[in-house]
Amino acid sequence: MMKLRTEDLTRTFRIGSSEITAVDKVTFEVNEPAFVAIVGPSGSGKSTLLSLIGLNDYPTSGKIFIDGADSSHFSAGQRRKMRLRQMGFVFQTFNLLPTLNALENVELPLALAGKPRREQKEKAVGLLELVGLGKRFLHRPKELSMGEMQRVAIARALANDPEMIIADEPTGELDSKTAKEIITLLFDINKKDNRTVIVATHDEKVVDVADATYVIQDGKLRLEK
Amino acid sequence: MTFCFRNLFRRKIRTALCIIGVALAATFVIAVGATTMRYTTVIKEMNVLFNGQVMVVDNKSMVIQAIPIGGGMLPQNYTESKIQKVAGVEKTVPILLVTPIGMGEIIQVVPRNFSIGIPVEDWQLTLGPTLLRGNRGHFPTNESGNEVVVGGSLADEYNLTVGTALLINGYELNATGVLDTKLALLGRSIIMPLELAQKVYDYQREINIIAVKPAAGYSQADLAEAIERNVAYVNALTESDRNDVVQPVLAQVEMWNLGIETVIFAMSLILVMTVTVMSVSERRRDFATLDAIGAPLNFVFRAVLLEASLIGILGGILGVIFGSSAALLMASFYTNIPVAQFIPSILDIVPPLYMAEIFVAVVTVCCVGGIIPAANAARTRIAEVLRAEY
Repeated sequence: MMKLRTEDLTRTFRIGSSEITAVDKVTFEVNEPAFVAIVGPSGSGKSTLLSLIGLNDYPTSGKIFIDGADSSHFSAGQRRKMRLRQMGFVFQTFNLLPTLNALENVELPLALAGKPRREQKEKAVGLLELVGLGKRFLHRPKELSMGEMQRVAIARALANDPEMIIADEPTGELDSKTAKEIITLLFDINKKDNRTVIVATHDEKVVDVADATYVIQDGKLRLEK
Repeated sequence: MTFCFRNLFRRKIRTALCIIGVALAATFVIAVGATTMRYTTVIKEMNVLFNGQVMVVDNKSMVIQAIPIGGGMLPQNYTESKIQKVAGVEKTVPILLVTPIGMGEIIQVVPRNFSIGIPVEDWQLTLGPTLLRGNRGHFPTNESGNEVVVGGSLADEYNLTVGTALLINGYELNATGVLDTKLALLGRSIIMPLELAQKVYDYQREINIIAVKPAAGYSQADLAEAIERNVAYVNALTESDRNDVVQPVLAQVEMWNLGIETVIFAMSLILVMTVTVMSVSERRRDFATLDAIGAPLNFVFRAVLLEASLIGILGGILGVIFGSSAALLMASFYTNIPVAQFIPSILDIVPPLYMAEIFVAVVTVCCVGGIIPAANAARTRIAEVLRAEY
């Protein structure tokens, strides 16, 4: 399992002449396959923090340690490789590629990882069945409901058996019933597969099931539960 | 590849318009290029007819390669005897070349047809190694008979075969053979004995060309100079003189052609670049997603470049097809010869190498047009794009 630790993680943005600190000296760690919720209002820095720990962005200062290794020493190629093989991303707006069908969206990370064609298909079919989309393989994203799109996105995130799933407001676009199903799915992924799941959310239902809850306000993170 | 095809056809109308734009550019380049290339080839091949000889015409004639246009006729016996007295002349061959080319029709480089009157003992001079189609028939043997041979292109157009009767200016002529030649000029010719030609076209004892073969040890230039010194009313043109008249014109045609190609390809480049930039800017989130899930650095670059190349390949294929068809139509339009006759010789009108050159040029232009948008797409900053979504 992946061990994640941040030290005084800070990310500032310059907009015109003013400087905004989206993430302010955040220090936290996840040492076991936990279900971690990060809650906070819009603009509080949740997405920026997830971008940083997902190696999608570079901190202005501070450090991120992954399995004890300082990520600032990672090359761009190493960061990509980690995103491909060790982390899975789930976005609020699903971010499925619109020209590919559900099966192809899930196959994509496997293809990028160089998996053989047959393995790609078998794995993608298995994952789509796991998330309850056994009969919707060949549908394009625009032919799926929002809940179904998010399930495809979760299947895609699981494709390369990552040790950590990073979900940015995964229930933000969904109705409460579908949101509950998605949370259950993420919860199962954490408990049954022993994967760390970090979820940025407004959703109280996520907080209810989370092993640890952090609150982020004006870029500052504190442990709530 | 599937990913790129699907992305291209996600915006069907835009992609189709872009492909059509590229195809039209290639069509224009091929049609104009093939037509000018054909004209220059035809003009160059006219000189093949009088290879190694000095060509004597009336000094008021304008000459395009071997074809005298306008100007006067030459009295046959008087002029021939004066030329034969010049030192260095081995042989003279009087020729009557009748063509519908006038100054107003000069754009028709290959006129509808020619009639060439030439003494029967001198066929070889004009025809070179040309044979009769299928080795059927024979060249006319009787100077005053009514036998003629016809060019292949004319024969195809009018269904002429050995034994067909032709009626020209009230004279009934008998086709005794069909020339098997690729030369455009001979393909459109009716070749007959000189006396017969003078009778049919009413040029009694008159001709408009005398081909003069230099004797051993005499250069064409020296002989031409001596002929002009001794016969005041003629122009004696060596091969290089004939070429000198046309070469600057041909060079200019080629230069204009190159200029047109450059402008057309530059426009294609801008078109492809614009479409690719639009496509890339609309798909920034897709590229950011690919980046977020760990796609290799050059994946997006290659995908966008491949899409631009696919536009080039599809546009190039359509362009070659449309361009070749347009070149056929233009060849037909400028020669008044039915299109169907050109179809078997399509590869002579638009040579395969030229098709390949234009195709490669189109694909290259489209690839170049895709480089900057592809580089921009590859530089997509994931965090910025995905953050902007919320």
